[in-house]
Amino acid sequence: MGLTRSSIEAMAPDQGALKAASGLLAPSKWPLRARHGGLIFGECQGSGANPYRVVADSEDQGSKCTCPSRKFPCKHALALMWMFVENEAAFPQAEPPAWVSEWMGRRRKSATSSRSDETKSLDAAREASAAQALPDPSANARKAAVSAKRAEDTRRAVQAAVDDLELWVADQLRTGLAGFLAKLGERCRRIAARLVDGKAGTLASRLDEMPSRLLALPQEERVDAAIAELGKLVTLARAWRAEPDDPELHREVVRAESRDEVVADKDAPRTASFWEVLGSRIATRRDGLVSHATWLLDLEASSPSFALLLDFFPASAGRRATSFSAGECFEAELAFYASRVPQRAVIVSRRDGAGPARRWPQAAADPFAENAERLLEAPWLTEIPLLLPRGRICADASQRAWWRSAEGLAAPLSEAVSRFALGASIESAAALWSGAQLSLLAARTDWGRLGFGD
Amino acid sequence: MTDLASSLAQMRGAWLTGGSAIEHCPDTWRSIVECEDEPALVALAGHAASVLFRPAPATPLAVRPLLPRLGLRVILETERARFRRVLAHKTGAVTGHAVTSFMAARGFAPHPADWLPSPGNDETAEVFTPWLDWVRGEPEAPPDLAMTLETYDSFPFASRCAALAARRRSDPDAARAIIAAKARTEPAERRNKLVAILETKLSVDDGEFLASLATDRSERVQELARTLLARLGRVSGEDALATELAAMMTLGKIGLLRRRSRVTMTPLKTSAQEARRRELLGRVSLKSLSDALGATDTQLLEASPVGKADVLGAFARMIAKTGSDAACERLLELVLEDKEFPLAEALALVRRRRTAQARAVAPRILQRDDRFFATTLAFVGPVGEVTLAALTASPSFSALLRAMETARGAEDAKRTEATRLVESGLDRLGVLASPEAASEIMARLAAMGLSAADPKLDMLQLNAALIPETRP
Repeated sequence: MGLTRSSIEAMAPDQGALKAASGLLAPSKWPLRARHGGLIFGECQGSGANPYRVVADSEDQGSKCTCPSRKFPCKHALALMWMFVENEAAFPQAEPPAWVSEWMGRRRKSATSSRSDETKSLDAAREASAAQALPDPSANARKAAVSAKRAEDTRRAVQAAVDDLELWVADQLRTGLAGFLAKLGERCRRIAARLVDGKAGTLASRLDEMPSRLLALPQEERVDAAIAELGKLVTLARAWRAEPDDPELHREVVRAESRDEVVADKDAPRTASFWEVLGSRIATRRDGLVSHATWLLDLEASSPSFALLLDFFPASAGRRATSFSAGECFEAELAFYASRVPQRAVIVSRRDGAGPARRWPQAAADPFAENAERLLEAPWLTEIPLLLPRGRICADASQRAWWRSAEGLAAPLSEAVSRFALGASIESAAALWSGAQLSLLAARTDWGRLGFGD
Repeated sequence: MTDLASSLAQMRGAWLTGGSAIEHCPDTWRSIVECEDEPALVALAGHAASVLFRPAPATPLAVRPLLPRLGLRVILETERARFRRVLAHKTGAVTGHAVTSFMAARGFAPHPADWLPSPGNDETAEVFTPWLDWVRGEPEAPPDLAMTLETYDSFPFASRCAALAARRRSDPDAARAIIAAKARTEPAERRNKLVAILETKLSVDDGEFLASLATDRSERVQELARTLLARLGRVSGEDALATELAAMMTLGKIGLLRRRSRVTMTPLKTSAQEARRRELLGRVSLKSLSDALGATDTQLLEASPVGKADVLGAFARMIAKTGSDAACERLLELVLEDKEFPLAEALALVRRRRTAQARAVAPRILQRDDRFFATTLAFVGPVGEVTLAALTASPSFSALLRAMETARGAEDAKRTEATRLVESGLDRLGVLASPEAASEIMARLAAMGLSAADPKLDMLQLNAALIPETRP
């Protein structure tokens, strides 16, 4: 049974899904579209920083997508199949990438929607989508006024919340950090709830995650780490108070801009280059969201330069596959969120193909000194990516792993490493530095590339 | 810096128990921090500690030696993900050991980030011995060092066994002399492994040393020495058991025109008697049984064994354990000729010597294998060199194609089981087939509608990608 317009209409969970899919039919949203036999696959640049990878089988109409949607098939899978039905020629024959093979075994077969009483139509979805796109000047003006009012309300609420945060910090110091560390979860949760009420959402999440960051450290290091964390909170609060309209501070305290806002921002720094995917970090947060961070390394920069693609999605959406494979390289233009130390970015455009293998930029002999410079710019940062020079991974007497450079610089690692990592000569390694620990992302070794935590 | 460190330590102490730390802060900070502004002070202190001080290990850092290189090519980066999927694939049809042995036979090693032998795994293919020594934390063997009595102690244990095994193949007497001189210095477990090396090229010259192990401290070593002696025909104290066992079977002639021998495992009345016979087959040697039956070893091995499958299996295991290499090969030949003999029960005969001879019989085993190549893999091992013609002529191949059709059918219950069988069969094919056969089989399966991206083909894909260096 091949794909047809009517079979897509039948498998769509509802008309809304088709309408959403119609908004994804522009080829510019698809850096990759290809086919292999009856399989069609592609990558869709959706609203997140990471693209969604989609596979569909035109024979049995099963599909799989990395997006967090609970609908099945999701709008991305529907759009992929829709584009295929309308223009097969846009899907050149290609060898299936590894991620297609990995998902083949886990795909779900399509089924006709149980909501058969609902009439679903591709044409109606496309018309509805086009109608929605028409500009309405008066509605836009109303929207702008509401938005300005909301921004002013938010600023007042955040001001009060930030004042409360500083009082809370002073209280923890006055009553003792020993007690603070003993009741870490409870105390952080309380102030986080106050910050949520005060519309300081990002700051609240940071407080919510503070216990897990501190408790991941050995006990003897927690006091110093708590002092550092509290100090960063104070710095951030005072910086925001001084410049509440600063986009970076607004992001760190209130909320981050959407992908569309960053792409539309003419002042956002942009870098077109070849990027290597160093690795991903997927973590479930206390607020019920799952953060999905993909770290990239600029392979054309003369000095180490990184980018972070960061998305959040509800934990209830289930386990999600990573969008990129570690070690994958691609050519893309990235727009960075305005920042004193630009890190977080979104993909503006991407070209298919990895091109020739490239070397990593030269690491500084003392990357921690560079880190200190960056912390002077943005002292509230909790994690900074570093490129480490030649070295080895070693172990102390308690079998805790450490990275040590050939020059003798050393730093403890946050996670245990594989046996192999202890026997490899590290030519260069990319890691996240928290101020107390290194979390290794990837390394180039005498045995080739080595990923950590993939 | 020492002053700052001291100030920070005092401030830390003050905050730990609670209270103001302003009196402990450096003088230069007092002009920045307003009175009673503890939050500002914690911001300064936290930042100073982050950028001015580095963590230092409390104990010296230990660096492991670099992982040694093997005489194998590491698989390409593009194949690593497939290899990891193959290892993670839990059909149980092909073990990780079989996959790595298959790769080693082709001249490839996995990337060590994806696979390293586990320290307790003695089954690891010999070519991975340097890695086994490394994961065990033993020092690396000096390169190109010959195994002699003098250099014995310079080898880490896994490399020592590998070097001794190689020496045994080239110079059996020299290897025995080293083992005889050094085995007693090793703990029982290792002593057992050293003595087991004598299994290769076992000869009457080994008899004296093996007999001396009758008083070894380890019962396992004693038992191994007795087994090896039995293969040389040197047994004692089994007469009564052998007589009891001989009474449970008959050796005779059948056929009117073409007279041939047959040893019949007489049907017994009770399960207890059956169990006793199986037990005796595990305790009696070939030599003792032949004597008790009034025949020679050769006469007994020329007789086709007949009986229940489990008894035939016990009989084959007895021959494999206590018979010479020639005895094993003779019985295997008989079994392959005898279509009534349950092939799977004869597995012990090749386990001991999975050699070129075992591979040579692959086509004959394939002709009788209808278990999705399970029997062939068990007999032949993951050789990766079986031809397309031999594979497709097997009943297993037809069964596989039928199962593929069923797996695409509509009946859920049948589909699940058929899919499992297909996955297992394809995995086994992946370690048996030559690269050319693997490619051709995938092409045929693609023509039947199986996508090249289907993970069921991972092992075959890996096979086709690992071309031995000698091929174009």
